[in-house]
Amino acid sequence: MTEAQGQGPGAQGQGPGAQGQGPGAPTIDAGELTTFARLRRRGAVLIGGGALWLLLFLAVPLALVFAAAFCETAGYGAVKLSLTWDNLGRVAGWGVFGWEADNLRILLRTVVVAGLTTVLCLALALPMAFWIARQPQSRRGLLLALLMIPFCTNLVIRIAGWTVLLSNQSWLAGLAQQLGAIGPEDGLYPGTFAVLLGMVTTFLPFAVLPLYAVVERLDWTLVEAARDLHSGPWRTARHAILPQIMPGLVAAGILTFVPALGMFLVTDRLGSGKFMLVGNLIQQQVGRDTPYLSALCLTLVAATLIGIAILRWRAREVPVA
Amino acid sequence: MKTLSVLGWSGIGLLYVPLLAVAVASFNAGRHGVAWKGFTVDWYVKLLGNQVVAEATVNTLLVAGISTIVATVLGTLLALGLARTPWPRPVRGGLDVLIHLPVVTPDIILAAALVVAFAVLRLLGPLAEVWFAPGLLQIIIGHITFEIPFVALIVMARLTMIGRSQEEAARDLYASTWRLYTRVLLPQLAPAIAAGALLAFSLSLDDFIIAFFTCGPGTETLPVLIYGQMARGVSPELHALSTLIFVATVLLVVGAARLQGSRAAAS
Amino acid sequence: MRLIALLFAVLVAARAADPVNVYMYSEYIDPSIPGEFEKKTGIPVRISTYESQEEMVAKLMAGGSGQYDLLVASDVVVTQLVTLKLVAKLDQSKIPNAKNLWDRFRDPLYDKGNVYTLPYFWGPLGIIYRKDKLPAGKVVSWKLIFDESASIGPFVLMDEMRSMMGCAAIALGKDVNSKDKDEIKTIGQTVLKAKQRKDCLGFDGGVGGKNKVLAGQAALAVVYNGDAVKAMSESADVAFAVPVEGAPCAVDNLLVTSKAKNPAGAHAFIDFLMDAKIGARNADFTQYATPYQASLALVKAENRANAAIYPSDEAMKKLVSLLDLGSDTNRIYDEVWTAVKSR
Repeated sequence: MTEAQGQGPGAQGQGPGAQGQGPGAPTIDAGELTTFARLRRRGAVLIGGGALWLLLFLAVPLALVFAAAFCETAGYGAVKLSLTWDNLGRVAGWGVFGWEADNLRILLRTVVVAGLTTVLCLALALPMAFWIARQPQSRRGLLLALLMIPFCTNLVIRIAGWTVLLSNQSWLAGLAQQLGAIGPEDGLYPGTFAVLLGMVTTFLPFAVLPLYAVVERLDWTLVEAARDLHSGPWRTARHAILPQIMPGLVAAGILTFVPALGMFLVTDRLGSGKFMLVGNLIQQQVGRDTPYLSALCLTLVAATLIGIAILRWRAREVPVA
Repeated sequence: MKTLSVLGWSGIGLLYVPLLAVAVASFNAGRHGVAWKGFTVDWYVKLLGNQVVAEATVNTLLVAGISTIVATVLGTLLALGLARTPWPRPVRGGLDVLIHLPVVTPDIILAAALVVAFAVLRLLGPLAEVWFAPGLLQIIIGHITFEIPFVALIVMARLTMIGRSQEEAARDLYASTWRLYTRVLLPQLAPAIAAGALLAFSLSLDDFIIAFFTCGPGTETLPVLIYGQMARGVSPELHALSTLIFVATVLLVVGAARLQGSRAAAS
Repeated sequence: MRLIALLFAVLVAARAADPVNVYMYSEYIDPSIPGEFEKKTGIPVRISTYESQEEMVAKLMAGGSGQYDLLVASDVVVTQLVTLKLVAKLDQSKIPNAKNLWDRFRDPLYDKGNVYTLPYFWGPLGIIYRKDKLPAGKVVSWKLIFDESASIGPFVLMDEMRSMMGCAAIALGKDVNSKDKDEIKTIGQTVLKAKQRKDCLGFDGGVGGKNKVLAGQAALAVVYNGDAVKAMSESADVAFAVPVEGAPCAVDNLLVTSKAKNPAGAHAFIDFLMDAKIGARNADFTQYATPYQASLALVKAENRANAAIYPSDEAMKKLVSLLDLGSDTNRIYDEVWTAVKSR
């Protein structure tokens, strides 16, 4: 490949002698005689705007939130500058009535719902990815576009659609009523079923696209080799296919799990205040109790990072064929 | 293959069923609820004269357009600077975290953090109070923030793929840095930059929560407007508006696909 | 290119004159009134809407009070708004129409001397229900909501903390302004029990609840009287009543925000709303009761005679006001309410 010849110090992050010589020492980068100091100066100009932007509008706000998590709440929700652990205690369940399990239940429910959503999405997305990858080239573009359209049509609209379909006046609810699955006047929402349906359909495109990207490039010769060596379908899938699609699975998992953890809209509309997740708890506190809000955000970020770490760790456990 | 087909189509079906339901409901003459009361196009006619809807449409497009342009420029430069500079390890590590932060932060956290940060900024003085009041500027800033990393990651992937041999060749032919970037790198990166911009644009259109928290009076985007209508249960207008947005999205995606197709055919 | 021109046209139009930004409940003003005000004064009015008092206070605290010029806020949150410095004192000299105020609404407990507030409308909470679900002549009681054996179908609770908790307190025969920790918890548990029932459709603002009943998705909902009476004029299938046990009653007020960009416009609009004729027209549209003596005479006779809008003196005795109970008690209510929503 052309890449190999073109490897300069910049591409690797450290060229020959990156450690040994000072930044002023001459070096060759992609055919240009220059110094590390000059390259870095040029790099700083390039990344300056973007890095500053992310620092200013992402890192600093997040740092402020973390700081606010240790402030006190004064009367009616005003923020008082002082150091306290109270807010983290409140997240864990301590309040005016002593300890209560509510918040832990919400946290657990959030993790379970996000996990279940991820599993269901992957289970549905995987066959979809294989199906699309097996279509003739011209057809694939169409199917991918079909996936993109609902994603670009805002989530709020898709949820509005579910409230139409699941309301007790719709034919779908009528069918469920006839079958005795729900009471004669009940709708299919609010409830757990509606929330899960909303969640899975929200994130399905996020799960299919990265999976499709890896399945499309799948090396089928490995599968043939496995077959030739008389391995059964399970072993073939486990050892010849799974390691190849693992990066896609992890990406799809992260793209589903992370936003699912912070979901507020689906539970708000399809759960109607009867099915609360951390996202709803956070939404309720915006503008009401900033320190408590910040502590909740802190908890959610921690949960997210743990979730990603587990996904990556699981990914490493799969042996390469 | 048959099972795959069935699964595939039902997956896609699940995505379209709610959209079609909204489209059908938008022609329902009934003022309240979804029970069918006859066919009408009245709700669409009413939409045309609705100034609030016109304003929200302008806001949505303005936010998506401006944020996409800024995020595409900043994200592309960020990718170039990251991929083509021999950064010391700690700097590279820090930049890596910074760029992945929005990808792994649930958007509700980013939204809440922006609300807190702008509240602090407003304390700076009367001028800051006006500048950092909830409104289009806040929404645009929020959208740029989560769009930059996606653009950067896509462009960076392309930079790794094309390698450096052509840069080397250009240098051998005495190309200046400016010529190298504008004549050699940029044309090769164009598809990735376009893909990044397209993704940024659709991410902006898909956002609800950041706009919900940071919009002010008169600066609601369409999703925020629709959410409000949903909370009030005013169904028919909401369904008609949603259907129009759905149709517009289809046209947009088909248009983008055509454009890409014709470009692919030309090259 | 034409699209860009259109964009500019809209933007320029929006910037033409400094508008009065009003923040109020949805469907709470005759939509022709802002236009008429603009025609008269040249000041455009922009209405933004909320669905609950909590939503309004939260939006102000999150984004600053400078977002809006004029607020509609219920009596129960006035002290909170003043304490948080979100509202400014009214300049009475710019509101000559304040003379139209009905004496019984002058000098309220929550704002002695009307320093910050002037009333807008007032009305009690109650239950809107579908007539086919409740036999005519049957007593409307809070039991329909809180007692499962009395249920008549799917119902919607009100998504407003003190209002909904107040209804539950009355159903239990307790004080709506209780400061007792354990009593507040008991009240919360009553709401929680109702929410957890299968036939509960969750929480909605008054307008949302009303629309679900109109749509036939719900058999009954907890709403304010005006929304319900308006619904009754739209459909003969629904009716409204204040439950026999009584109900919380709110006075909604007009306030100018502390960082208003257009305080002069806000004052002018308050004065316009308090005009005898405009006040009456607004009341006839929203179907809420006007607190303006001068408007009362001009309100349509059928509305003036409607006991659902203007309750009899007998019924008035059973209505109670929600009071601000101080930030510490407020915190207890907050926590109980969060628990109600999360379980």
